[in-house]
Amino acid sequence: MNYAVSIFRSAITDFGKNKGRTFLTSLGILIGVMSVVLLMAAGSGLKVYIEQQFESMGSNLLYVMPGNMFGEDGSGLAGADGGLAPLFVEKDMVTLKRLKEIEYVIPYYQKTVKASYGGTTKYATLNGTSEDAFPGSNLLIDYGTLFSEADNSAKNKVAVIGSKMAEKLFGDASLAIDKKIRVDDQLFRVIGVLQSKGGGGLGGPSFDDYIYIPYKTSYIFNTDKKFIQIIVKVRNEEDLPMLKETIKTELKKRIKTEEFSVIESTEILKTISSIFGILNIVLVAIAAISLVVGGIGILNIMYVTVSERIKEIGVRRALGARRNDILWQFLAEAVVLSVFGGALGLGLSALIVFFLHSLFPAYISLESVLLALGTSSIIGIVFGVFPAKKAADLSPIDAIRYE
Amino acid sequence: MSSTVISLKNISKKYEMGGDVVFHALKDVSLDINKGEYAALVGPSGSGKSTLMHIIGLLDKPTGGQVIIGGDDISTLNDDQTSTLRSEFVGFVFQQFNLINKLTIKENILLPIGYARKKFDYDPDERADYLMERFGILDKKNSFPNKISGGQQQRVAIARALIMNPKLILADEPTGNLDTKTGDEIMELFGELNKEGITILVVTHEPDIAARTRRQIKIKDGEVVK
Repeated sequence: MNYAVSIFRSAITDFGKNKGRTFLTSLGILIGVMSVVLLMAAGSGLKVYIEQQFESMGSNLLYVMPGNMFGEDGSGLAGADGGLAPLFVEKDMVTLKRLKEIEYVIPYYQKTVKASYGGTTKYATLNGTSEDAFPGSNLLIDYGTLFSEADNSAKNKVAVIGSKMAEKLFGDASLAIDKKIRVDDQLFRVIGVLQSKGGGGLGGPSFDDYIYIPYKTSYIFNTDKKFIQIIVKVRNEEDLPMLKETIKTELKKRIKTEEFSVIESTEILKTISSIFGILNIVLVAIAAISLVVGGIGILNIMYVTVSERIKEIGVRRALGARRNDILWQFLAEAVVLSVFGGALGLGLSALIVFFLHSLFPAYISLESVLLALGTSSIIGIVFGVFPAKKAADLSPIDAIRYE
Repeated sequence: MSSTVISLKNISKKYEMGGDVVFHALKDVSLDINKGEYAALVGPSGSGKSTLMHIIGLLDKPTGGQVIIGGDDISTLNDDQTSTLRSEFVGFVFQQFNLINKLTIKENILLPIGYARKKFDYDPDERADYLMERFGILDKKNSFPNKISGGQQQRVAIARALIMNPKLILADEPTGNLDTKTGDEIMELFGELNKEGITILVVTHEPDIAARTRRQIKIKDGEVVK
């Protein structure tokens, strides 16, 4: 134990006297560890972010969508907006509404429109939906009111808009109420502005840019009177699997089975998570290559160190050092060099993650700390062992005569 | 028998030079170094005295004959055992001092202690202080070797050789890198140490230096001539 302590202490003092070289050699490991740790932090942060987004959309949801998703043909999520035609009609909603386990039925007709007020025109996603959309998707009102069933039945040209859209068009969200906006060629009265939901920052849907109108009013645009999807909120979570089957059975009376799917939000989440998981593993593996490159840097400098100190090795052998004493001395130096780089890389990553945290829920897990320090010591050992062996195998007599 | 520190019996050392050429660095050398002796191994360069010194210093092994220390033939020892014996048996003093520049004077003196595998019946730290005090270098204990004079460096090397209390001090051209006056001081120091009972073998090509010891072993063409 004392032996190990003294060997590491002398390795550390040694580097203290050679700061420039030590730092430059560790730089490779520093960059390697930093890229691995940062990518892992970003990956786990992204996972948390996606989960939060799903949670904010509400729980206990079933998505009724066209196409055979997660089916045997392996079409996967590509079907979600992969050009599948809207399929569902108002009759389907009525059918679903009759099921007592269902709390809300939320149809969606979606269209990209130009929304304008005064001189300002913006692209927006128009959603023709029911009043259930607001409680069902946890959408809360900030100014004005939500539209009601009566607005729907009367086909009132009223709109509830996202906070960002309100700001874009009116400058201040509170000014939007009772103003008339033009949506494509139709005029709508803004009756409510929603609270911000966040999102959209990472390429996902930007809910705050949405415009919601009653689905019956949306028939002005939606002349086929068909909906791209119906979202159903179930009263009790335990009813989800049973209801999934019931919905299939009910809708099958009108539509062929292979033409639609009923999906739980957790299934979507699982698929997305696994895609990101694989992506992250690939990225971390690529970053690990830089660790190997850093290790080769250490290998190099350790060979140089050994050649520079042949005479010293000879002197130490003459003073009674065994072959293994020399081996451990140089191995300890390689490990110290590598762990120093690893610790520095970890520290820098922590700093970057700390500043990134306000934008993105990235975090450094205990696993990545252990992994960083573990890999850097392993790299030190793996790449240090060859030069150390070379040093240990020198014949004492050749070493001491070396000039 | 107990007064013999090291005994060489019919030692030979051959080097294969490639082809059928064999170079005999040492031919049938027999030699005893007794406890308390102050001897010089003298000979011109190429005489085989360095080879003989390396064998006595346990850095090299002969190709023939026996090296006997404490009644045992050491040719059967493996590398680790030889290293351990070396650390306890011999203290080296080199021509170029061979101190480690990154270590302080005191750390240099204590360096062999770190490689020792035995229990000490004295405190090495106190002994280092005593030796530095005695050699007039105590005020330099925290200096580095390249900051002190050659004479001082050689004193550090002698202190390092003595720290383990070895059976034999082996000094290889100890005055070769020093001016005459400093060289004289070092030789005087060896004389004093010998009077205290320390066995010293000086390897040199200078007859003047050899003359200051009490026994001259002359070597020529790989043979002890006197």
